[in-house]
Amino acid sequence: MAGRGKLIAVIGDEDTVTGFLLGGIGELNKNRHPNFLVVEKDTTINEIEDTFRQFLNRDDIGIILINQYIAEMVRHALDAHQHSIPAVLEIPSKEHPYDAAKDSILRRARGMFTAEDLR
Amino acid sequence: MKDLVCPLAVLPTAGGDKEGGGSESDYVSMAALDLRAELDSLLLQLLGDLEELEGKRAVLNARVEEGWLSLAKARYAMGTKSVGPLQYASHMEPQVCLQASEAQEGLRKFKVVRSGVHAPEEVGPREAALRRRKGPTKTPELQSSEAPRDPLNWFGILVPHSLRQAQASFWDGLQLAADIASLQNRIDWGRSQLRGLQEKLKQLEPGAA
Repeated sequence: MAGRGKLIAVIGDEDTVTGFLLGGIGELNKNRHPNFLVVEKDTTINEIEDTFRQFLNRDDIGIILINQYIAEMVRHALDAHQHSIPAVLEIPSKEHPYDAAKDSILRRARGMFTAEDLR
Repeated sequence: MKDLVCPLAVLPTAGGDKEGGGSESDYVSMAALDLRAELDSLLLQLLGDLEELEGKRAVLNARVEEGWLSLAKARYAMGTKSVGPLQYASHMEPQVCLQASEAQEGLRKFKVVRSGVHAPEEVGPREAALRRRKGPTKTPELQSSEAPRDPLNWFGILVPHSLRQAQASFWDGLQLAADIASLQNRIDWGRSQLRGLQEKLKQLEPGAA
């Protein structure tokens, strides 16, 4: 496992997860937990948050892709994640286009520039 | 003659330098100037990174949207329930992996690589010496030694072109995701460097704030 690099995880709706699994990121066998979660109508916020935290705690995951509307449900967990790895990327979904104002990374970057700092 | 080695903002007095306080304040001013120059450079780099991030995000979003459209076309061709979680394999090996390298402390770079056959030492004639003459040849270790299957095969032998296009779009998306993750990391790193420099500047020039 150490020789093959890190995994890319995905938490998203059916199309997003199917698409990225088609791209070849999926891992699933009886010994290991999957690196993806398909969020459906009956998926609870607790399940999403638990899966997100599991992905954060795994040391073999380098990037977590997450639909932005799902990221909004667990925004507190995303904002609390300050480490560089795994990196969390918010992506749009079919019904919810990407909104830069909601992105955790860009909100932190916006907070860099205040009038006092630039004096 | 005195050599003018001080930067523009600090000019030596005509009456000769005064020992003690004068030279100390010159040193502080020079240090502050250096820090400000460094801050400016870092700020410009950060702004450049943010601009690049915005560009890559737009491309990633476009690729993902193309991928959805292709998936929809594939569903139209194959049937609504023919492209979805019901077709996922029960055993998956990742074909794509991420290599993370650390250029400086806290600064990471990500790169997507295609992993070929996994663990070649698992494949092959481990049992060559024990090959049995009778009975059908069994390969009990194949479940761990077979090459990672193309996920396209989950959906059938002959898949429509739209499904291949979807795969290509999402594969491009993965490359972009790695670039974006690297940029995000660089921006975070730049933020922490910026804060550090601002703190140092405040210590040097407490009255300037």
